[in-house]
Amino acid sequence: MRFLLPAVLFFFLVIEGTWLQVFAPDFRGADWQYIPRFLFMLILFTGIYRAKSHGVFYAVIFGMMYDIVYAPVLGVYTFGFGFITYLFSISTPFMRRRPLYTALLVLVGVIALEYYVYGMMVLLGLTTLTHEMLFLQRFLPSFLLNGAAALAAAFPLRWWFNKVDGFNEE
Amino acid sequence: MSPFFSNRRLIVLLVCLIFLVGLVGYSLNQNRALSWPEQFVSDAVGTVQSVFSRPAYWLSSSFDGIGDLQNLYEENQMLKAHLDDYASQRAELSQLRRRNEELEGMFDMRDDLLDYSAQEAVVIHRSPDRWNQLVGINLGAQDGIEEDMAVITSQGLIGKISRVSQFSSSVQLLSDQDVTNRISAMATGGNQSIYGFIEGIDDESGLLRFTKIDVDVEVEPGQTVTTSGLGGVFPDALEIGEIVDVQSDEFGLSQTALVEPSADFYHLDYVMVIDRGADDASAVLEEEEE
Repeated sequence: MRFLLPAVLFFFLVIEGTWLQVFAPDFRGADWQYIPRFLFMLILFTGIYRAKSHGVFYAVIFGMMYDIVYAPVLGVYTFGFGFITYLFSISTPFMRRRPLYTALLVLVGVIALEYYVYGMMVLLGLTTLTHEMLFLQRFLPSFLLNGAAALAAAFPLRWWFNKVDGFNEE
Repeated sequence: MSPFFSNRRLIVLLVCLIFLVGLVGYSLNQNRALSWPEQFVSDAVGTVQSVFSRPAYWLSSSFDGIGDLQNLYEENQMLKAHLDDYASQRAELSQLRRRNEELEGMFDMRDDLLDYSAQEAVVIHRSPDRWNQLVGINLGAQDGIEEDMAVITSQGLIGKISRVSQFSSSVQLLSDQDVTNRISAMATGGNQSIYGFIEGIDDESGLLRFTKIDVDVEVEPGQTVTTSGLGGVFPDALEIGEIVDVQSDEFGLSQTALVEPSADFYHLDYVMVIDRGADDASAVLEEEEE
């Protein structure tokens, strides 16, 4: 049971690059790109439902793995996952009892991450795409997809973290 | 000082920022080989990914197969038409091949740029954030993969090996936006060869950019672009694509052509890594010097 959460996080790390890429709609001629951020969202949920320290711990570990496996430059996701999880892991009883607010907070975290990574890519000269092009084609569809996923996961995750996980101090 | 960022936390944040800048600077170095912790993580994740990716390809191809059933009849007609050409071309090919062998024998030729061997690899992952066009394959240094080797599919060139780990490596596709992603290419049209570089994709059309073409040269749509073999890394005559549009660059000093790639960069499952056998070539050169 203790290793279930890291195992699920690792599972998301793997399928974001394999399964979700094989079936990605933009590879079949669709104009919109959906960037899955399921791994990061689960880390944020962990930060909210367990504790900030747990969230940041997993954020740094899995951010590092994400950097090594998928990114051309090290450090971008390690810092981004860690820092944004630290900012948005508002682990108060008010947040924990209201899954809708939790999902919204997680979505805000995803938006922050996406813009942070965009800023880093522009800064490092790894992309020349403009914001107008990206907003409709990539950001908006991704936020819709991730927001829907966060909303769908919020209720089961609250139940799981409160009843099954047992790390919660409440 | 707000309670949200106490003094101690601010110092931790600053240390993290310095660490970030250091890591980014370290990893932007182009001549860097992967360090052992990176190799360990990529290999461990890569092993799991190669297990995961196979059922996905199987499912994906069976979906595509259902779609293909609909235009089976038209495709069959077209293939039958091609088949007639095939027989005559085959006869011509064997004749040319024999003739070429004879001529090579006369000149005592050994290794040339066309000699290469290919290794088949499975694509195990692709970067989920679309900021770069990197795909991972299941072959690494243990299988003889080295940096900058050409990677092709049956349709044409797709990219080059950018990072090598022990049991996996990543491929930088031609469509990657990185400024160092540059490949020496040539187009053949009429009786002259046109040289230039393939440098990433055009943002608007999504086509490959064939840049640094001499202004005096006439480039026409329809010409085929291949690798030139001049870079010293790739063999020559690997197909890249076909020119669809020509523009002069902003200063009028050179021309840029847009190239429709012949390989599909999206449905990648099985690819081939080309080993030019550079060791043999350099050995021959050394012999000649002696």
